[in-house]
Amino acid sequence: MPVFKTPFNGYSVKFSPFYESQLAVATSQNFGILGNGRVHVLQLNPTITEIISFDTADGVYDLCWSESHDSLLIAAVADGSLKIYDLSLPPTSNPIRSLHEHAREAHGVDFNTVRKDSFLSASWDDTVKLWTVDRPTSVRTFKEHAYCVYSAAWNPRHADIFASASGDCTARIWDVREPGSTMILPAHEFEILSCDWNKYDDCIIATASVDKSIKVWDVRNYRVPVAVLNGHGYAVRKVKFSPHRMSVIASCSYDMTVCLWDYMVEDALIGRYDHHTEFAVGVDMSVLVEGLLASTGWDELVYVWQHGMDPRAP
Amino acid sequence: MAMRELVTGGAACAVPGPSGPSNPLGALTNALIGSSSKTQEKLREIPTATTTTTDGNFFARTEEPFAALPGSELEHPLQPHAQGSEFLQGFRSADQDRFADAWDEIRRPHVHHSLGRGSITNIPLEHGRLQPDFDGPPQGVLSSFLHSFVHSSHGGMPFRPTSLPMLGLSEGDKQCIRDRSSIMARHFFADKTEDFINAQVNALLSSLDINNDVSSRGPMPGRFPELEEYWNESQGMKPGPYATDGWVAEFSQRQIEHNDPNAWVQSFERQHGANGWATEFEHEQSQLASIDQMRGANISSLVAMEHTRKLAHVLTQNNDPKFQNSKFLQFVSKMSRGEITIEDNQIKQGTFSAPGDWAAEYQQQYNGGQTWADQFVNEQHSDGPHGWANEFAAERELHGSVDGEWVNEFSKLHVNDWAEEFEHQVAGGVLGDSSGDNWANAYDEYLNEQVALKQKSESSSGVYVFSDMNPYVGHPNPLKEGQELFRKGLLSEAVLALEAEVLKNPDNAEGWRLLGIAHAENDDDQQAIAAMMRAQEVDPTNLEVLLALGVSHTNELEQAAALKYLYSWLRHHPKYRTITSADQPDNIYYADVARLFNDAAKISPDDADVHIVLGVLYNLSKEYDRAIEAFQAALKLKPRDYSLWNKLGATQANSVQSADAILAYQQALDLKPNYVRAWANMGISYANQGMYEDSIRYYVRALSMNPKADNAWQYLRIALSFASRNDMLEACDSRNLDFLQKEFPL
Repeated sequence: MPVFKTPFNGYSVKFSPFYESQLAVATSQNFGILGNGRVHVLQLNPTITEIISFDTADGVYDLCWSESHDSLLIAAVADGSLKIYDLSLPPTSNPIRSLHEHAREAHGVDFNTVRKDSFLSASWDDTVKLWTVDRPTSVRTFKEHAYCVYSAAWNPRHADIFASASGDCTARIWDVREPGSTMILPAHEFEILSCDWNKYDDCIIATASVDKSIKVWDVRNYRVPVAVLNGHGYAVRKVKFSPHRMSVIASCSYDMTVCLWDYMVEDALIGRYDHHTEFAVGVDMSVLVEGLLASTGWDELVYVWQHGMDPRAP
Repeated sequence: MAMRELVTGGAACAVPGPSGPSNPLGALTNALIGSSSKTQEKLREIPTATTTTTDGNFFARTEEPFAALPGSELEHPLQPHAQGSEFLQGFRSADQDRFADAWDEIRRPHVHHSLGRGSITNIPLEHGRLQPDFDGPPQGVLSSFLHSFVHSSHGGMPFRPTSLPMLGLSEGDKQCIRDRSSIMARHFFADKTEDFINAQVNALLSSLDINNDVSSRGPMPGRFPELEEYWNESQGMKPGPYATDGWVAEFSQRQIEHNDPNAWVQSFERQHGANGWATEFEHEQSQLASIDQMRGANISSLVAMEHTRKLAHVLTQNNDPKFQNSKFLQFVSKMSRGEITIEDNQIKQGTFSAPGDWAAEYQQQYNGGQTWADQFVNEQHSDGPHGWANEFAAERELHGSVDGEWVNEFSKLHVNDWAEEFEHQVAGGVLGDSSGDNWANAYDEYLNEQVALKQKSESSSGVYVFSDMNPYVGHPNPLKEGQELFRKGLLSEAVLALEAEVLKNPDNAEGWRLLGIAHAENDDDQQAIAAMMRAQEVDPTNLEVLLALGVSHTNELEQAAALKYLYSWLRHHPKYRTITSADQPDNIYYADVARLFNDAAKISPDDADVHIVLGVLYNLSKEYDRAIEAFQAALKLKPRDYSLWNKLGATQANSVQSADAILAYQQALDLKPNYVRAWANMGISYANQGMYEDSIRYYVRALSMNPKADNAWQYLRIALSFASRNDMLEACDSRNLDFLQKEFPL
């Protein structure tokens, strides 16, 4: 299974929604505490080679691909800015835009998969911002969370609905046509670091928390979680629903593992990958190749592997 | 330059393997140094929608204008089908308010057309604030800070505090470190109490000289009690702004009180001055004070110390070896431990340990059968007499050899202090009984010190000094861990793991031996010899140990001891014992040993070890041509032994073949890029050829990898003065690596 070494600590990895062999990685120097950042665009062929990379003056915490243009990437930078890169231009011409409104670190970005013209950014300044690629300023700011917002995720079916996960121990559901959040989900007793929507049931959402658990919720009945997935030994950093299997979830954690879960069955943990030697902070599942996983971590390595295989196998 | 350049251990290195490139922190710094170009951010046109795949034509632009595209996705209108969808649609209130309008407006094609390409470039965008620090001070020193941790072995000299106050971190950087580490720590240490997290963060910050002031981003204080209330009342209701400020104030207040581990040090220093610890230590010792007395003397600080102890042991509490090995956690943990050394000079190292630890450590050191005075001198003069002598020699080279200066220097060091002290007391009119006692005490102390110094100067002390805080204590298999770290080239980490091993199993010869090798590679021959001697105690006939001891003593110019061990090696070797006499002779002469090894080389010309020893021996007798031949013979058998290349280079340098030496060092560095000693030796060779400017760059590189390589600091000072760069001497004396690195990039 191919591996790629990044000079800085990995923070996030995302498969291209256009090319099954392309993925992008966000990295930060010095564990993202201080230093520079770099975005790598990688090619699987079948070893991993770098197509292009972009340097930033602060760590890159997250990135997402545009859903409408195969060459567009958006990076969430620790200085609070969002940078838009166009892979069809040489590095010297990039980034094509730098959107600087967040007062604190930008920690998450997500591209709208329905309308395909807009994206969200989540920031440690407690806000979520709504952007379009062609506007120099944000369309809207969603300010309700009382502490850092770590991630925001669009609903895969409704162009106007998204969820946000915050250190104030709540997840919130928003409709961008409404002035405020439409639902507050006090999902965990500890900070919530990530959330994602089920790709097949648009009312199911998963939250991942510092309390080491992942909880699956039905927004129609928010009082009791549909499932609680225990098994990580430390804070769960990212959670992601499978694009191919309705009940499958991937997660990565500060316990250095990547786990696969089926929240519908009793023994929910269906796979555990122990390949990282530092905190595993980024995980993604390919939309185009079923079962293809990618992960990155603070051990500066990016792994791509097929579910069921050993990521470290040569 | 002589034998100092010969690196030890290579011949006896049982765990060979690629070590350099696997060091992630090294890679980190290489990346830092490498990425000196600044990114350019330019507002460009919005890209075109491209349908090209990633073939060779990657940068090809397609003609399709972006502006035509948005809206096309509406060809696939939403299919409100299931109950769920209706539910989510139901979020939407009936009225069309401005948010909906604004949102819908974005979709309208005319918006895009009106924006157009030309206009977009005219929109005044905020260009990203580029930190001008790809190669600036914060990065360079922060990374060398990391490096110094990697390379620091805690037994000898802690890295110099002077370089850190000049970190030059901007307020913005400090804010970043403060806020990010605060927020992240709450993710890592979720199981721990808020106090613990605060202490952990605080330790990290204070070691970087950052005040954890009120602007710090505090934690989210759990779930709000009132949340449930308003949640029940109305799920749409908005929570008011929470008073996190109150928490922050409380937080900083508590910092000022007891929870700040620094507070203890600071208050202690206020009471006793910078050298208070040593004074205290002496004082207590002279009164044969018990530990209990010490406890009583400083009871208020115990709270803080206990707290600190807990903090430092967080890693050992987690038995997962993977976690033990986490570089990040080690980084945090070591930052915490480094606090004291940064706080003040080397004496401060011990202050961080709790009294219990201190007692244990003291016991350990005491078990070595050494006097307290020895121990004390060891710590006081961690350079050892050689260091002092070297320093003196360096001084003399600079100022020309004026004998009078030696006297001045010496009296400055010892006699004047005493005399002044005495005079001062007399002048101060403190002529009561106590002053007489003080004087006597001071004189006794002075004598003790001289005696101890003399003892020490006769041979390497042989006392192994353990690091005070060791995260590997409690590790299930520290030996394996140590071997692994050693293989990766993380020498200082390997030292810690191996110390944990020999604390656990004091009779593990392999543990001691590897510990010795790690120290030797880390340029600390004193500790290397001490560890090797313990290994030899356990296993008197271990060939690798004997050979390593021989080489280390050669490095320390202790010919008699070196010959003894090399002879022992021969005597215990199954192949060569026949050529030695049955009894160990009382006096071993150089010529005899050399002859025996020549015989051995004839018996088995394919034994690289024999050629290596011969090379070392010929260095002792200054027969450099023969030494070079011997090393070259060994290299034919072991072409990938990096330390052997270094030995060859050092010998060539000694025989005034500095140009050849540089080639040999380059071979060593190709095999092991983080080989500090080879970098320093490279500098020496350039200096020997009169290329002082070049030599400075190599010294600085070596020091950036291991700032506590004291010899290299001295060489650097000499080179600076020969290169007429007296303007940089101050930076050298204050060990301002950052400044030097900028001035002398390699």
